[in-house]
This record gives sequence, C-alpha cells and structure tokens, in this order.
Amino acid sequence: MIGLRFGALFLLGALFLPAQELRDYERKVSEFTLSNGLHFIILERHQAPIVSFHTYLNAGSTEDPARKTGLASLIARLAFNGTETIGTKNWPLEKKALEAVEAAFDRMDDERGKGFGAKAGAFAILQAGESTAMGDAFQQQNPDEYLRAIQENGGVALDSHATQDSIETSYSLPSNRVELWFVLESQRLAHPVFRDFYRERSKQAEDMAYLGESKSPARVRQSLLSAAFENLPYRNPVLGWPGDVVALRAGDAKDYLDTYGGPGNIVIAIVGDVDPAAAQRLAERYFGPIPARPHPPLVRSQESAQSGPKTVALWGDSPPYLIIGYKRPPEIHRDDPAFDILATILGDPQTGWLHQELVEQKEIAQSAEALSDFPAARYVNLFVVSATPAKDHTVEENQKAIDEIVARLQSRPIDAATLARVKNVLRGRFVRLLGGNQELAALLPDFYVTYGDWRKLFSVGENYDRVTAEEMQRVALEYLIPAHRTVAYLTSAPPPGGAASSHGGLQ
Amino acid sequence: MIRGALMLAAAATALAQTPPPKAPAVARKSAAAAALPNYNELKFPELRPIATPTIQSFTLPNGMQLLLLEDHELPLVNGTVLVRTGSAFDPPEKAGLAAFALQAMLQGGTAAKPGEELVRQFQDFGAELTGEVSPNLLSMSFSGLKDNGELVIDALKDGLTAPEFPQDRIDRLKAHLHNVIAHRNDAGPAILQREFVSMVFGKHSPYGAQVEHVNLDRINRGDLVSFHQRYFFPKNVTLALAGDFDAALMKQRLEVLFGEWKSEQPPIGAFPDVGRSMAPGKFLAENKDAARAFFAVGGAGTGQLDKDNPALEIMAGILAGGLDGRLNRLLRGNVDGLTASWTPGLGYPGLFEVSGTIANPFFTPKVLQTVYDELRKIRTEEVSDHELKTAKATALNRLVFGFDNQLSIMPRLAEYQYFNIPGDYTRQYQEALEAVTRADVLRVARERMDPDKLTTVVVANPTAFEAPLESLGGAPVNTIDLTIPAPKVEASVGDAASQRRARQLLARAQQAEGGADKLAAVTDYVQEIAYQFDISAGGAQANMTERWMAPNYVRQDTTSASGKISVYCDGKIGWIVSGGASGALLGVQLQQVQSNLFRTMFPLLVSDRAERKLTAIDDQTVEISDAGGNIVKIVFDNATGLPKNELYDAPVANGTVSVIETYADYREVNGLKIPFKVSIDLAGRKFQDLTIKSMQINAGLKVADLEKRP
Repeated sequence: MIGLRFGALFLLGALFLPAQELRDYERKVSEFTLSNGLHFIILERHQAPIVSFHTYLNAGSTEDPARKTGLASLIARLAFNGTETIGTKNWPLEKKALEAVEAAFDRMDDERGKGFGAKAGAFAILQAGESTAMGDAFQQQNPDEYLRAIQENGGVALDSHATQDSIETSYSLPSNRVELWFVLESQRLAHPVFRDFYRERSKQAEDMAYLGESKSPARVRQSLLSAAFENLPYRNPVLGWPGDVVALRAGDAKDYLDTYGGPGNIVIAIVGDVDPAAAQRLAERYFGPIPARPHPPLVRSQESAQSGPKTVALWGDSPPYLIIGYKRPPEIHRDDPAFDILATILGDPQTGWLHQELVEQKEIAQSAEALSDFPAARYVNLFVVSATPAKDHTVEENQKAIDEIVARLQSRPIDAATLARVKNVLRGRFVRLLGGNQELAALLPDFYVTYGDWRKLFSVGENYDRVTAEEMQRVALEYLIPAHRTVAYLTSAPPPGGAASSHGGLQ
Repeated sequence: MIRGALMLAAAATALAQTPPPKAPAVARKSAAAAALPNYNELKFPELRPIATPTIQSFTLPNGMQLLLLEDHELPLVNGTVLVRTGSAFDPPEKAGLAAFALQAMLQGGTAAKPGEELVRQFQDFGAELTGEVSPNLLSMSFSGLKDNGELVIDALKDGLTAPEFPQDRIDRLKAHLHNVIAHRNDAGPAILQREFVSMVFGKHSPYGAQVEHVNLDRINRGDLVSFHQRYFFPKNVTLALAGDFDAALMKQRLEVLFGEWKSEQPPIGAFPDVGRSMAPGKFLAENKDAARAFFAVGGAGTGQLDKDNPALEIMAGILAGGLDGRLNRLLRGNVDGLTASWTPGLGYPGLFEVSGTIANPFFTPKVLQTVYDELRKIRTEEVSDHELKTAKATALNRLVFGFDNQLSIMPRLAEYQYFNIPGDYTRQYQEALEAVTRADVLRVARERMDPDKLTTVVVANPTAFEAPLESLGGAPVNTIDLTIPAPKVEASVGDAASQRRARQLLARAQQAEGGADKLAAVTDYVQEIAYQFDISAGGAQANMTERWMAPNYVRQDTTSASGKISVYCDGKIGWIVSGGASGALLGVQLQQVQSNLFRTMFPLLVSDRAERKLTAIDDQTVEISDAGGNIVKIVFDNATGLPKNELYDAPVANGTVSVIETYADYREVNGLKIPFKVSIDLAGRKFQDLTIKSMQINAGLKVADLEKRP
C-alpha cells in the first residue's frame, strides 16, 4: 500500500466508499495531458476560496546515482530558490558569477583529489577564492524573491521534500492567485537556478551527521535498511550518506533533472476553488512551452532474494531499541491490503496487540509500533515491528514477545470482531483524509503514478473488504518468517572478557 | 509552439551578449518574457468573500448547549464537546490536574466499557476520540463514519458522563507522564517555548506553571472523580456537531439521549486573572548539549477582540512575518525559522513573540541586539507604504485559510461561541485589516509593545557566545535552572491510631534513653568520631570532631589523608573551608548539613514536643517529619526500646540517595544512652562505619567558638 506519511504512523488505506461517492468525485475531477507529457489532475472544491497545488516528480532517492546519495533530497530543498528571472538582479552577470563559483569548486575538488600531493595552504587559498566567488554571485541576487512572491500573496503550507520514489513540492494559495502559481511553477520547472546549493548542501550533510556518531533509534533504523537490502537503493538514506552529500555539485543536480525532470515524468494536482477550464487554458499557456524529454531509464535494481535471517547489533550507552523488518512485496502486489490491516492490528497506539501486550500487560516496552511498509512501497520493502524496551528490560525480552505474537498470527486466524474493527479504523482515517485540499492534492498524483488511475483511490478499498482472516494467516505464514527477517537493535556493550555469546545474540 | 520558440530564442540572445548596462538588460528581460508575464505583472481578481457557515444553536432542557452544522460532502459526523474548565483552575500543588483528568477519561473508559474497550468501541465505528486542555477550555473531539453516527454519539455520552477512572489506568498514565517530564529537556525548541511561556506569565501563575514529578504524585483517583463531578454537568457543557446528518432529527435524538443527564452544580466562576509575577527581563537556560541557540523575545499580548489586533498583526508581519520582514533581511544568514507573531489569546492574553534558532551560538548577543534595535525602531518612525501594503496583503490572504478543512471549521466556530466572539468576527477582522494605516502601526507599537518590559529567553550553551549576555546592558540576566526537580518522597499522614502508636514508641524510647526531660535538657555536645569507609567506597579513614549546640548550630572539623575540612552551619547558612580555600555552604552541601541537623539525636527523640508529624509505619517504626520537608523513619529495637535504625533520603548532586543507619554499642554518658558504633548503608550497600571515641554532653560550648574559622 502506498504509505503516505502524515505523522509517524499514518496509514493510507484506500477504503470502500460506495460507488455513489466515486461518481461524485468523478464529476468534480478533470484530467488532461499536455503534448509534452505533463499530466494534470484537477479536483473542484468550492467550500473556501483557496487552492492547493502539488507537483509530483516521479523520481526520488532511488534514482540517486551511485556515490551521489542525497541528491534528490537536495534538489527538493532548493525548490524555492528561484529561476533565471526570479531571484536575480541581473541574470547574465549572476550566471557568470555562478560559473566562477563552479570553477572554484572544481579547483578545490582537484586539490583535494591530490591526496598526499596536495600543497599545504593551497586549499585554504582556494577556499578563500570560493568565498569571494560566492560573494560576487550574491551581489547579483535578490535573495528569497521566489519565496517572498509566494508568501506575500498569501501562500501557506509550503513544502518540498524527496522520498525514495518521488520529489514533491506543494503549497496553497487564495483562489484569486491561481495564475501566480502557474507563472512561478512553470518557470521553476523550466529554468531553475539553485542559488543556495552549497549552503543547503552543508546543512543537509550536518543533518545526516548523526549517522556517523549517534546511537539513536534513527541510526538503528538506517542500519536495518542497509542490512536488509543488498542492492536495492532503499538501503541508502533518502538524505544521503554524509560522505556523498559533501561532494555533491550543482552539475549533478542539473544532470539528475535533465534525466528525470522532464514534463513527461511529472504529475500535477490542483485541488480547490478552481475552474477546470480556466486551469487548462493556463496550463497550456504556461507549461506548454516546456520542451518534452525522453522517458527516463527505469531503475533495474532487483533486490536479491533473502535466504536467511540477518542481524545487526549496535552497542552504545543510549537507551535500547529494537526494530525488525520482514521482506514483503511492492504495493501493487495483491497481498498489499493485508499488510495494512496487519500493521493496524499490531500497531494501533491503544488497541494494537503490541501496545496491549508489551506495554500494558508485560510492561517490557515503553512503546511499540508496526509499519505496513518501510521505507517506501514501490519496490520490495519491509513490514516492520519496533519496540523501545522499558527501563530495566531488554531487547531480547521484547523480541521474544514479538515472536510469540507472530506465532499466534500464523497459528490461528484473527477473530472476526478485530478484523471488522480494524477495517473500520482504516476506512474512517481514509474518509477523514478526503476533507482537506492539501491531502487530496497529495493523494491524487500518487495513485495516478502507482496504478495509472487516480480512481484507484476509491476502488482499491474493495480489496480491504475482501481480505479474510484466512488470508491474513497465510500472509503471516508466507512472509513473517526468520529467513526473510532482518533484526537491528541497540543495546549496551557486553562486559569485557569474551561475553559476546553470553550477552545473548538475537537471531 | 511558436510562442515557445520565440521566448527561447529571445532568452538565448540575452544570454549570449556581454553584460550590458543596467537599463537595457532590464528591457531585454521584459522583451524575452513578453510572451508570458512576470509574476509581479499579474493582475488578480477580487478574492471571493469568506463564507462562514451558519450554525444552528439550541439549549436542551437540562441546560446543555447544542450547536449543529450540516455538511454533506463526506459521510462523516464530527463533534466537539466544550467544557468550561481548564488548566487555569489547577491547584498549584496539583499542576496538571485538568490534563491528567482528561487523559484518564479518554483512556480509562466507563464502567460498561473500561479501559481501551471504549477506544475499541470508537474504532468499531471507524471513529477517533481525542481531547485537549488549554488554560480556560477543555475539549473532546471525535470524528466518525456517518453510518455509525448515532452509535458514536451514544459512546461519547457514556464516556462524557460516566468515566470509570480505574486505578491501574491512573497508575499507567502517571508512569507515562513521569517519563514525559523526564524527557522534557530533550529538544531545544520545546525547552524554549515552555520556558518562554513560563517566564512571561510566571511559574506561579496557572498560565505559566510547569507540571513537575511532585505534582503528578499528589494526584489521586479522588481528585479525578471530584474534577469530573465539578465540571462535567449539562449547563457547563456545549456539544457541537458537524457532518452528514439532518439537523432536526439529530436535535431530537440528542434531546432524548442527553435528557437523562441531569446533574447540577453551582456555576463555574471566572478564570483567574493573568498575574505577571515574573519581572520582565533576560533569562538564560544553560543547555550544554545544544549545538545551536534558541531564543524568544516578547511578552503577554491581547485578547481575541482587542481592537488593535489587526494593526498589531501587521506590525509583527513587518518585523518578521516573512522573508521581507525587517529582521529576516538583517538576520538571514544567522537565524533559521525567524518569526514574529502577535497571537491574540482566546479568553486570556495571548503572546507576542519574536523567536528563532541561531545556527552559530557565537552570534547570539548580536542577534538579540538586532532584535532589540528593531523593536525600538518600529516605535520611533512610521513604517513605509510598501511594507504596510505587503504585510496587509499577506495577512488578508492568510485569513481565508482558516476554513479549508471540514474537520476544523466547526471546532473553531464552537470555540468562538464559547468565548463570546461574535458570529461575523472574521468578516469584521477582514475589514479592520484593510483599514490599518501607517499611523495605526506606529501608535500600537508605542502603546502596546514596550521593549523595556519584554521577556527574553535564551536556551543555549553560553560558553559559545561571542560575549556574555550581560554585555547587552539593560535588564540583568537571570539563570533558568533546567534541572527537573526529582520526585520527592513526601511524609505520610497517618490516622489517629498510628499517631498514637508513634507516640507510644517514642515515649518508650525516651524512657530507655534516660528520660524525655533529660533529652530535652541537652543543649550541646562534643564528640570525636573515627570514620572507616568501606572498601567499595574507597576504604579511606577520617577523624572528625563534631560540636553541636541547640537549636541548630553545628561545627565539624575533619582530618583525613586528603587534608582538613571544616564546616559550620547555624541552621540556615554557613561556610566550608577545605585545604585553605573557603566558600559559602551552598546547594547540596547545605542541604546535607541541614538534613543532618534535623536528625540530631537528642531533639529528634523529643519530637513529640516540637511542631512535627509522627506516624507509626508499623509496630516498630515511626516516621517523623517537619514542615520543611525533612523526613526520617526510626526503627526501634523491640527488646530495648532504643533506636536500632534510621532510614532517610539524603540529598545528593542529582537527587537523593537512600540511607540506612544502624546503631550498636549503647553506652551511658551523663545518664543518657548513646550508640558508640554506627554503620551506614547507601542505596543498599555498605558505605562506612563510625566509631565514637569520646562524647561530652552539655560542655558549655559557645557559638563564637563554633563559628570561628580555622
């Protein structure tokens, strides 16, 4: 299932809405594709004079080139940097200055590349040169002009981020400013200028520094991914490995967008107080001129089949943490709905089995969660169970309790009442999602890209209703097995003196 | 695509040229974009007016208020229950009571559906139930599928009127909240906001109080039951429903359902005034782990209906409302997330706050100085036309977003009603915003915002600052101690029987000692003690001469391999001299000395003659406590009646440690029995042995001798 994450554990279940509702929505949705391939989905909602816009580029960190992890995320961070016409005092001069900046970085990379042959002090001189070049470029810039244009016109909820599968940029405007979005967004896609590239690059590297030092649940989660996936890019953090990020160059971003950023690879949703016919005219006018590009290559990585259990131990003074991932198929697989239901049965914060048994009854965990897909769902991914042990309790105890729960899932079907209840939970959450422009604008392109049709938002739900208790049991037997399992845990180091085995390895 | 080609060709031409003088470059830029307008050339139509939906309002016969709004877009029924109470009513010693009671209701269930059975019931209906407590409002919200609408409301009614408050739930909730308190300093931004609000409204005001471990420990089931009884009665409750239902039918149904709820209570009084007990000033919370610095400058604001709010919102916007703000331009490279907001409060004064994260703490003093300068400047001269226009447009445009999500509209309208905000408030506010002038902004800046009366809070590692904050001048810098006060063990309060038993035990001990009057007649003593530390505690030895004088003077001179230490205390203050260096007796050391003074044997054994509480914990143990929070348990020997052990918690650097003293080798001195051997266990492990080498009672000591420094 598509894991759209609003908050830590938010599941998207596309649920059974009666056909009536689907027909209502069909009446309110218009779709069209420009000749350059750019696809628009427009949904009318006239409750309030506002519109939400969502641009979905169908490429993410999975498409980061080798040794350039973090590139898609960095590109996302720079979405509001401006264009050749917005954000500059004089583009020709600025362009020259930016080229000088690139040349300075070329020289610095070159000097670094000499390794031991590098001259003392030479690097410092080059760095000074780079600072000067940056300063010159800054002279020609109108900082934050693009962002200000959005904010001054009442723009809210600006967001731009990358996932494994996508780069998504969104914001909302009052509905009389619709044309502003067309001007700004079309310019952004056609002529972006990444003015803050190197500053944001540093910040992103800093954000990821925890991968080197800290012992934290986030670190453990990354270890889980790196261990579970041998070749699929899901093994890399979306924001990149720090060593890769610090070496990224503006040219890399340009190459990435040249390959993946063509209009044929982009879907745009517009939801709110909008006139579809007018929107289509504006789309043709502003986005039409963007030249088409060839289809980007598909990522061909196939995750090798896992044939045995994997374990990663992290030793440190931080509070213990346990996370377990079972290999599961991509979201378009017929078993996908069962995983959503399973994650809610196990992981609901109050009624889930994990909370009930590990936190309340046995009191061995402070908190415990389940995720139906991790880190993303377009390819083979992981069904995850995690637990933070309670004070004076261990990861071993928690794994044992989790194993017992899994065994129960495998040995007998779930009772009808629980199954019905969880299906209702998912249905309620989904319907609530439909009440907001922003949420709808995020959902529509996602479904279109994954299933080829936004309508799947409404009819995939029948699959939930079709899931039986026996099927859930079969899914548990087929997938939640040690041979497909990776365990990562954080615990304090064992006492010295060859006590590694007595400390208790987790399988 | 001819137009496209033209644009591309023109752009290519522009780029191919050598940099021309400014005017032609601009002209060329326009020419290149002639096919498509620049963003600042667009003309926008008028914004459609915001339509506030009309709510139907009823009062049920039992006094409960009903607000109904039909919305048929989605098959949902959403509701909010508003109860007139809030954290402002928390008794100071039980800060957090209202929030705790709400959580206990949400998680505790009812008699019919205890614990998470109630939650499960909601889930059966595809519904969620949540709640929130603010200083002057308690609200519970739910959202459920329309098909089960009636069932959800039934479940809500039970949860609202008949909560069970099971003890195990309460215990679990307490454990969870203790954990939350223990982690409240994990993140800089959370620390900043919490401390800022606390400083602005005052830690001792219900609007600024923080919930501590000791507050949580005092809350018991009785408090929760009383809370519910006092505040949850029909006349004090509003139910607001929005969704896919027929209003007339829903009203009928609710009349029947809630008709049987008839409890009555006296009307709730007014919420307390926001007193401001903290003087405005600068406050620094040291956070050594923070790589960045977090700051907030501001103070208490205005109420929701204050006429100056539109102008104040614009003033804040000009200061730092967006990238064009004055502070944003000045501090762009140094501060992330810089904002200035004038947020009116619902029911009590809101907050004016300028805040941000300083990436490199070195620049903290400069950043603060810039903020102060701009706050002064905006009170000196009118803002520019351009600034006014931009801030106004931003504020007006943002207003429309209050009504974008179906789930949030009704709760907001219900809150407005609860706080007596008129129905056309939004439209009035919109008109007022449009009418704000530059003179208005100047006036409100002068009248409503006094930089000398503002509060500054900084959470950072001050050693990284370029200069100490004192260098900024103005109000002195106070320190905020972020240490989370440890959960205190509090004295037992026994019933009459246990108090009697305690006195009996004490009387027997007094007799065994040599007589209560003799004990009370001890006015001083001198003893020589030899200390032997246990191997696990270092194995060292020491010798001490201790002199004590009634009521609370003590002087200790200790010699050991590591040198000489002398300590003096008069009960309240004192000094310590160690290896030549001398200093005031402070902090944990002072607490330790005072704790020892409380347990001085002679006055302790005649505690029945003092203002102290005595309770028998069991047949041999008496707990003695005083108003100052000192507590000790004495275990008496069954055979002799003399003290066998003392148990107490000694103050240490980051909390307390449990101590057990054991007494042996009782000998007589001046007709009183004194133990000449004492062994001390710390946290269950052997710590040291004391041997008394000599003891003199009523030696005629003088305070002047005790307080003379070595």
